[in-house]
Amino acid sequence: MAYQRVLTQYINEPGSYTLDSYLKHQRGYEGLRKALTLKPGEIIDQVKASGLRGRGGAGFPTGMKWQFVLKDTPKPKYICCNADESEPGTFKDHVLMERNPHLLIEGCAIGCYAIGAKVAYIYIRGEFYHVQQILEAEIEKAYKAGYLGKNIFGSGFDCDVYVHRGAGAYEAGEETALIESLEGKRAQPRIKPPFPAVAGLYQCPTAVNNVETLCNVPLIIMNGPEWFSKLGPEKNGGPKLYCISGHVKKPGVYEAAMDTTLRELIYDERFAGGMMDERPMKAVIPGGSSVPLLLPDQLDIPASFDGVQKAGSLLGSAGLIVFNDSVCAVWLAMNLLHFYRHESCGKCTPCREGTDWLLKLLMRIERGEGQPKDLDLLFGVSNNIVGKTLCAFGDAAATPVLSTMKLFRDEYEAHIRAGACTLPAPWRAKHAMAGAH
Amino acid sequence: MDTVTLTIDGRPITVQKGKTVLQAALEAGISVPYYCYHPGISIDGSCRVCVVKIEKMPKLQTSCSTTCTDGMVVMTRDPEVVEARAGVFEFLLVNHPLDCPVCDKGGECPLQDFSYTFGPAESRMDFPRRVFDGEGVKADVDFGPTLMLNRNRCILCTRCVRFMKEIDADAQINIVDRGYGSEIATFQEQGVHTLISGNLMDVCPVGAITTRDYRFKSRPWDNPGVVDTICTLCSKGCNTSAWLKAKPEWARGSRLIRMTPRFNPDVNNYWMCDIGRFDYHWVEGETRLRRPMMRRGTALEPAAWHDVEPRLRDRIQEVVTADPTAVRFLVSAHASNEELFVVKQLVEGLLGADGIKAVSMTWTRSEKPQPAGTKFKVPATDAPNVNGARDLGYDVGQGNDGLPDLTALRTAVEGGRVKAVYVIDPGPQGSIGDVSWLIEARRNGTLPLLIVQGVVTTPLTDAADFVLPGAAYVEKDALYTNDQGRVQAASSAIAPPGEALEDWQILVNVARALGLTLPYTSSSDVRRALAAAMPGGPYADADKIGFAQPLPASSWLQASNPSERWKWDFFFQDLPPVKGHSVQTEGSAQALFIPLKPVG
Ligand SMILES: Cc1cc2nc3c(=O)[nH]c(=O)nc-3n(C[C@H](O)[C@H](O)[C@H](O)COP(=O)(O)O)c2cc1C
Ligand code: SF4
Ligand code: SF4
Ligand code: FES
Repeated sequence: MAYQRVLTQYINEPGSYTLDSYLKHQRGYEGLRKALTLKPGEIIDQVKASGLRGRGGAGFPTGMKWQFVLKDTPKPKYICCNADESEPGTFKDHVLMERNPHLLIEGCAIGCYAIGAKVAYIYIRGEFYHVQQILEAEIEKAYKAGYLGKNIFGSGFDCDVYVHRGAGAYEAGEETALIESLEGKRAQPRIKPPFPAVAGLYQCPTAVNNVETLCNVPLIIMNGPEWFSKLGPEKNGGPKLYCISGHVKKPGVYEAAMDTTLRELIYDERFAGGMMDERPMKAVIPGGSSVPLLLPDQLDIPASFDGVQKAGSLLGSAGLIVFNDSVCAVWLAMNLLHFYRHESCGKCTPCREGTDWLLKLLMRIERGEGQPKDLDLLFGVSNNIVGKTLCAFGDAAATPVLSTMKLFRDEYEAHIRAGACTLPAPWRAKHAMAGAH
Repeated sequence: MDTVTLTIDGRPITVQKGKTVLQAALEAGISVPYYCYHPGISIDGSCRVCVVKIEKMPKLQTSCSTTCTDGMVVMTRDPEVVEARAGVFEFLLVNHPLDCPVCDKGGECPLQDFSYTFGPAESRMDFPRRVFDGEGVKADVDFGPTLMLNRNRCILCTRCVRFMKEIDADAQINIVDRGYGSEIATFQEQGVHTLISGNLMDVCPVGAITTRDYRFKSRPWDNPGVVDTICTLCSKGCNTSAWLKAKPEWARGSRLIRMTPRFNPDVNNYWMCDIGRFDYHWVEGETRLRRPMMRRGTALEPAAWHDVEPRLRDRIQEVVTADPTAVRFLVSAHASNEELFVVKQLVEGLLGADGIKAVSMTWTRSEKPQPAGTKFKVPATDAPNVNGARDLGYDVGQGNDGLPDLTALRTAVEGGRVKAVYVIDPGPQGSIGDVSWLIEARRNGTLPLLIVQGVVTTPLTDAADFVLPGAAYVEKDALYTNDQGRVQAASSAIAPPGEALEDWQILVNVARALGLTLPYTSSSDVRRALAAAMPGGPYADADKIGFAQPLPASSWLQASNPSERWKWDFFFQDLPPVKGHSVQTEGSAQALFIPLKPVG
């Protein structure tokens, strides 16, 4: 049975972002109308039953996250929608907000109702200026139409949605750093516990949810949890957006159920359509830049949270970055470490000092000035970061090094032996530091 | 008290509920390193050196941010911990200039000490270090009127940031830029402007923040003595330590080398203000009174005590015999309880039972500009003992809440009804307020006799007929009653200069010359009498209050910070700190000496 897209079916139609289009094609705000006839607890139960897992990276069950939000408190509660989307190779939330913003707005409203909040903040990546304008204009329309604001559908439920544009930092996507940034402080993470569900924004109970996660909520309410969980493998249900980039014929955002395999996503005509210039594939990073690489012989697995994890990597943000044989592993690690070194918030010692050290080592090896001891050093420094940092950024930053060293150690050694890259790599030669800031 | 019991390194440890694993370990004398943690400010969890292994937890945990629970099993010496911790230390030092030989923190530096103990034997870093403002001395930049900043040494623990935000309540310091480029900064490089800036040198665990007052002046191993005392420059009575520099008798320069705060949760916590910290130079300054002086003709000339006393007796007796009401005392609230007690007996002996009415107490007030929310408020009253004077029966008006009222005395002096004024002022210049009227009365002859017992040369001593050199607050054991009514001990750290005497002694000598026998041969005799005279109150045990002796000093940590006090026992027994104890080699006989390597 062909997969019927639900998140992105209309995104290529002109005016797909408008309220009219949303109402006409997607039964707009019916989910909210239905949700308001239920008790908040019932919504959480439905989301739990659906098995919806967070689309921001960690795949944590959303229903459970909402259930953890402290109930017995006189304090206000908040939904913070994580629209910081800064993971390299990830560009799905951008599409949803730009082309289907009302789905998110509706998801925010239902989320607020479910956890007892009256306010949702959409923390949008600093560079998404035009997306913010679209979102704000559409939020305005939703207010005018009575889907936001006071006494929605006469239910007595009030809900406000605000868009807050970040100052432009990858780390601002980490949930507690996002909260700090929303509060007007530097985007640096807090120690956990306490978790945001207990003390989040302004020390009030808060749920931080990814854009795509919230977009799924109206669909669950409208179509029922059963429909959602049956879409895809067990515990990995629901529609999923994949961002495919790199050396493929048709890079882009594709929607599929999570029983789709990585091979299909990369090679199938419905998706990325195969390797660019028919060059052989060298590796793929399946979940944004922060997860281990997979090799061409590891592609016949479902592109699900559990499937990719079983293969030794993570689905993460579902950003598939595909490399052909022209890409040098050392260069790849160096390029990514340039990103991590630039984006480390600097709060904790191992990440602040370690990312810079790793980059320096990689640049030295890439320049052909590496020494044999540098390989042990790379490995040692990476391991001194992993597991010792305040937030998950540290592990993410060390991963490109550890993963490329594990899979392509011979290339590192060749660099050191030959004093230069030994790959015939025309593309790389043209873009010595492509993608780097 | 609710307690929890946990196991650290196999030892059962019971602590108050709510304590963190780090606090529990430190209380039990188990050394766990820490930088971003400071007991006086909030927890940050950012430096990562305090990692420990906790059973049933998948990853290593930062002990500073983990609350103890019953039955928790913690390991601080597990090989995994030892290795992880050494890794963090390696990171902390990859960009540190290691200019310890010229760094003011050297010898009492938590980065140095903990690195010796917990860090790897050598660094694998072979890239040029990060440099912010320049190399060497060029790295030292202005950080406000009292401080200097060296960003190359900074380990970005943010203690200074949190101190300013939470204690000072004016968040003047923050980090700008991020990641590897992070640096400590103030708005437009204006530096830190606060009355409590000196604490930043204490909270900074490295030599990044130094005070202009102390930098380059001494090294820890040149400060062999420290005396636990209190500050007497306002009514708060911060508990402090006075540091003494070793110096040969003949060498010039002062012995007092710095003041640091000493932890007292009820008074000053871990902090003190810049007035108390930096304003001690007058004690050993050029203007100190070292010898008694007596006016002969128009000139004030040095004289010996044994010449001064009979002359003084004759002049006072002359006035008293003619009119006892023509003798007045003007006493600074810098006078200690002992001194005030003796003054009272002196005036009662000299002038009769209500002789105390002849005494006017004096002090000054100045409202200190501080942020409204500050956690460390410096009181307006610039004297330590207004409450002591009140308790001893002197008229102090509104006490610490108001200014003394000297109008009656002034009117009497200016009207020529007063023939002798005896001023007692062991405080710094200006501490008895405006006395120009008194100087004028003496100059124009309205007042025939002016006696000044004091510690520094002032226009008032210049105008006096007799100048009796007394002792400053760090030169005598004495009790002061702070604005909370707490009786606290200031201990003698150094001896009074030249022929100066402790003030109680001068008063007893003057009394004796006047034929009054006050049976005291030491300040503790006075305290015994004070305790006996005032039973049942805060002075009942005045004779049992302990005074500190100069102790062998090791580090400010030992003096000021109980959470770091274990280091006193573990680290500093041999200085300079090239001898260390290494957790890496714990249990093996080798490598208790850290080989000195060239800094490169
Ligand atoms: C360094 C770092 C960056 C992150 N960036 C994002 C991001 O851009 N967008 C996002 O949704 N989650 C991001 N996350 C994950 C969030 O911390 C959080 O887990 C997520 O927003 C939760 O939403 P979900 O449960 O809906 O996935 C990031 C995490 C880390 C450690
Ligand atoms: S791991 Fe990196 S990004 Fe995360 S807190 Fe530490 S320095 Fe900041
Ligand atoms: S200046 Fe000192 S206290 Fe401030 S962050 Fe740096 S090391 Fe820490
Ligand atoms: S002291 Fe625990 S992380 Fe810094």
